[in-house]
Amino acid sequence: MTVPLVETLSLVKEYASGGGTVHAIAGVSLAIARGEFVAIMGASGSGKSTFMNMIGCLDIPSSGEVRIDGTATSAMDSDALAELRNRKVGFVFQQFNLLPRTTALDNVAMPLIYAGVGRAERLERARATLEAMGLGDRLDHSPAKLSGGQQQRVAIARALVTEPLMLLADEPTGALDSQTSEDIMQLFQTLNEAGNTIVLVTHEREIADHASRRIMFRDGKVIEDGPVTSRRQFRP
Amino acid sequence: MTFGFRKAASRAVFNLGIALTALRVNLMRSILTTLGVSIGVFAVVLAVAVGSGAQVSVMGAINSLGSNMAIVFPVPDAENGGAVAERGRLTMRDAVAIERQVEGVTAIAPQLHANVQIVTGGRNASTQAIGVTPGYAEVTNAAAETGRFISDADVRAAARVIVLGRTVVTKLFGDYDPLGETVRVNKVPFTVVGILEAKGSNLGEDNDDIALVPISAARQRFTSDRVLGPDDLRILFVGIEDGVSLGKTKREMSRLLRDRYRVRDGEGSPFIIRTTEEFMEETATVTGIFQAVLVAIASISLLVGGIGIMNIMLVSVTERTREIGLRMALGAKRSDIRNQFLVEAAVLCMIGGAIGLLLAIAAAAVFQAQADFPVPIGVGTAIGAILFSAVVGLLFGGWPAVRASRLSPIEALRTE
Repeated sequence: MTVPLVETLSLVKEYASGGGTVHAIAGVSLAIARGEFVAIMGASGSGKSTFMNMIGCLDIPSSGEVRIDGTATSAMDSDALAELRNRKVGFVFQQFNLLPRTTALDNVAMPLIYAGVGRAERLERARATLEAMGLGDRLDHSPAKLSGGQQQRVAIARALVTEPLMLLADEPTGALDSQTSEDIMQLFQTLNEAGNTIVLVTHEREIADHASRRIMFRDGKVIEDGPVTSRRQFRP
Repeated sequence: MTFGFRKAASRAVFNLGIALTALRVNLMRSILTTLGVSIGVFAVVLAVAVGSGAQVSVMGAINSLGSNMAIVFPVPDAENGGAVAERGRLTMRDAVAIERQVEGVTAIAPQLHANVQIVTGGRNASTQAIGVTPGYAEVTNAAAETGRFISDADVRAAARVIVLGRTVVTKLFGDYDPLGETVRVNKVPFTVVGILEAKGSNLGEDNDDIALVPISAARQRFTSDRVLGPDDLRILFVGIEDGVSLGKTKREMSRLLRDRYRVRDGEGSPFIIRTTEEFMEETATVTGIFQAVLVAIASISLLVGGIGIMNIMLVSVTERTREIGLRMALGAKRSDIRNQFLVEAAVLCMIGGAIGLLLAIAAAAVFQAQADFPVPIGVGTAIGAILFSAVVGLLFGGWPAVRASRLSPIEALRTE
């Protein structure tokens, strides 16, 4: 059996809150294989975002283990985690998180700095990725001059430019209208069909239906995990 | 290794880019913040320059006396209102003894000083007349620019001849060549036989505001009302050969004078002997302290400027917490974040420092033009000021930068 891309073992995340302890994640063990398109669903406070932040090595578990590509992360220091995020994870955020007053090209090239890629190659790779997102004519635009959908495409390009093992998207359509949301989800499907592993956090069933596997969280536990039966498939 | 270096260099350049962008975005705030550092650097650079100027000035004053020499004069009698004490009078015979018996002495310049009024053709000048011998020229590097210096024959004959300094010439004659003219010095007619080479001024003291006459003439005409004996001197300059130890020569002169005046061991010498070397050392110490005090006071403003930088960097870190979180999510290490803010603070301070330096250079130029006092700002000072500004940035930007780098990525990202 091949090694899963992401594997969590008895993952726990606790917060101290007003004298008591809140279990944001209360013992989650699951695996995500290469090439999967996973939607993590749940109500607000169900732990879905916390879970995603931990498999993206942004947040540190209270106990348990996260293995990325077979490598345990619990013993890693902050530098090793930064490098792992840089090389293996591509993040897409609800609010895009693009640097203001910075061109689309420079925004996309930014992660490559931290990968130690030279300037010429950085800009070339960023340009190629933006063109693949259909933004070849928006390279020099700052985020303020782009529509929401375009901004999210720039953010997706930024996540993809390092050729990560997986894309982690936290409510990527939360700030977009329904038509633009549909476009972005179709883009994710296309990327998935091209071989990209995608983990998506959403609270909307319609959005989750674009994925191939759905994991439901409630009170920090997985209550449902299985293939999406009524998958919304984009067919050109 | 090569890759590692290129990677580091690439990141450094990128950090600079981020810093400049961040500073441009908050232009007005950046300018106001750098103002503190500008004023600090301005003050420190000027303090250093004024200190160096004082040093240059005093050294110049000492050098204009003559490069390698000693000055001998009787200990002033405090009880007698500064008049010469009876027991040590310093006479021409002492001067001759020093010239003949002390090794390394090249020339002697015995002197009598008097403040005089010189009058000619309705114009007058108050100046200091110095009674000298030809040795004065050799010991003090003085020379006649036109005409001649005081000669041995003048001294023997107590001739009423006078050699004028440039300032006195200008006061009395303007542009007119005074050679051969007669001037009245304290109502006694003297013939102008020479004009001294200009020596300029130091610390506001005009070295050219003097008139030289034969020492014998000075004694007869200007100092006859004093309690001095017929052979007494006010002061003696002793020229010393280059390469001879001034300390050793001074000790020999001191021993000779003690022997001549039968000063017992343990008793204080009635004469004071100072060498140019001692003047130089004392000057270096005093001006060094003067400079250090000035710089210390000026540094306080730089400290205040640095605190301003720290304040604005803390604001900047707080404002950009989300950006910090994003960068961490995309793979920035703590050191990357720290360096980004360090570079930003250093660049901010260096710009402020450069502005302060330019202001200081301008102020020094104005000061130098208005006051007769050199305010040198050397290349070393300039480079030092800029580098020091960068250090201020690194010091005061250090804590905010480290704080930024210690943020948890996820908490930083969640910040609104």
